[in-house]
Amino acid sequence: MKPRTVSFTQRGFDFETFMWFFTRVSALVMYALALTGLVGALIMGARTQMNLADLMRWVFTPNVTHVQNTNVPDLAPWTTSFWKLVASAFVFFATSHGLHGLLSVIEDYLTLPWLRRTLRILVLLLTLFMIFVGVYLIWTS
Amino acid sequence: MEVTLKIFRYNPEKDKKPSYKTYKLEAVETDRVLDLLEKVKGYQDGTLSFRRSCAHGICGSDAMRINGMNRLACKTLVRDVGTRITVEPILGLRVIKDLIVDMEPFFDNYKKVMPWFINNDPPPEKERLQSPEARLRFDDTTKCILCACCTTSCPSFWGSDEYLGPAAFVNAHRFIFDDRDQAAAERLKIVNEVMGVSRCHTVFNCTLACPREIQITKAIGELKMALVTGVLS
Ligand code: SF4
Ligand code: SF4
Ligand code: FES
Repeated sequence: MKPRTVSFTQRGFDFETFMWFFTRVSALVMYALALTGLVGALIMGARTQMNLADLMRWVFTPNVTHVQNTNVPDLAPWTTSFWKLVASAFVFFATSHGLHGLLSVIEDYLTLPWLRRTLRILVLLLTLFMIFVGVYLIWTS
Repeated sequence: MEVTLKIFRYNPEKDKKPSYKTYKLEAVETDRVLDLLEKVKGYQDGTLSFRRSCAHGICGSDAMRINGMNRLACKTLVRDVGTRITVEPILGLRVIKDLIVDMEPFFDNYKKVMPWFINNDPPPEKERLQSPEARLRFDDTTKCILCACCTTSCPSFWGSDEYLGPAAFVNAHRFIFDDRDQAAAERLKIVNEVMGVSRCHTVFNCTLACPREIQITKAIGELKMALVTGVLS
């Protein structure tokens, strides 16, 4: 028997449901990014050149400022565009994931429509601002 | 044994604010909380108001908060809750009197998902056949008795009664996954709306509260997956 399906146009697009899905996926993506940072760091010699705390800082944002104070002899492999891209992706997913969580809390507890709308816009602006600042710092540091 | 029954009392026509009244009565451990309420109403205080009908856990009219948990009074034994029992109306709906709440917002949300069979093909001579496997797909959600234990235990519903709520999702699930029904797309659209499934934060209160032991949060999860993938079977 062929499976019953409902096409995308039939079931409609809803921003909230999309964000629900995005929140799940972004969590998985962040695991993948963290794993990339961890494996990459170990390959680049972190096992003998870094302590655990520094390694963890690198794993959650693979930015070169997190390796500067360690015993890594050559910073060059840690500053490639690849790592900047990974760090930027991390900033994007972590910020949008976290601030959407904040938005859910706000919408669950606030019932005044105008206050909801105002905070909604505020959270959106905050998200864009934080992503911009984060990415800017990564590419200019 | 002696049981102490503390009951939420409120008559909006007379009382400025709600209060609790305590009643002491003799009971055995296999008495149901509904029996105790009947005893209080019959022998101690005729002004006590509550809904009940079947007294056998099938009409869904006596949902109330018993020691803080949403339950049916007719399915809750003294043995299960102890000898000090607090009874309050379910949360998130306006109290009409004592344990009776205004169920209209609850049923309004229920109606929004079109909880009836829709199939515009001409009916066959005898019946619309369905395989046992296809019937099993939505078996769990056919058991709902619309008692509102789930919806009124849900924090998202307390926040806004426009949130469709678990009972509406359960009944949407019952028809969306029925392969004889033809309105799955329309219903999915409805549960996809702003105050729809995305407001469910998987708190599991509803599943814990359901007296029919329906796996509500799982059903909601299946609706979410259907929205993402479009696959129903
Ligand atoms: S699982 Fe969802 S519907 Fe059920 S109580 Fe929690 S938030 Fe409400
Ligand atoms: S799903 Fe369970 S708790 Fe909710 S209305 Fe139906 S029977 Fe009651
Ligand atoms: S009285 Fe009918 S379900 Fe309890």
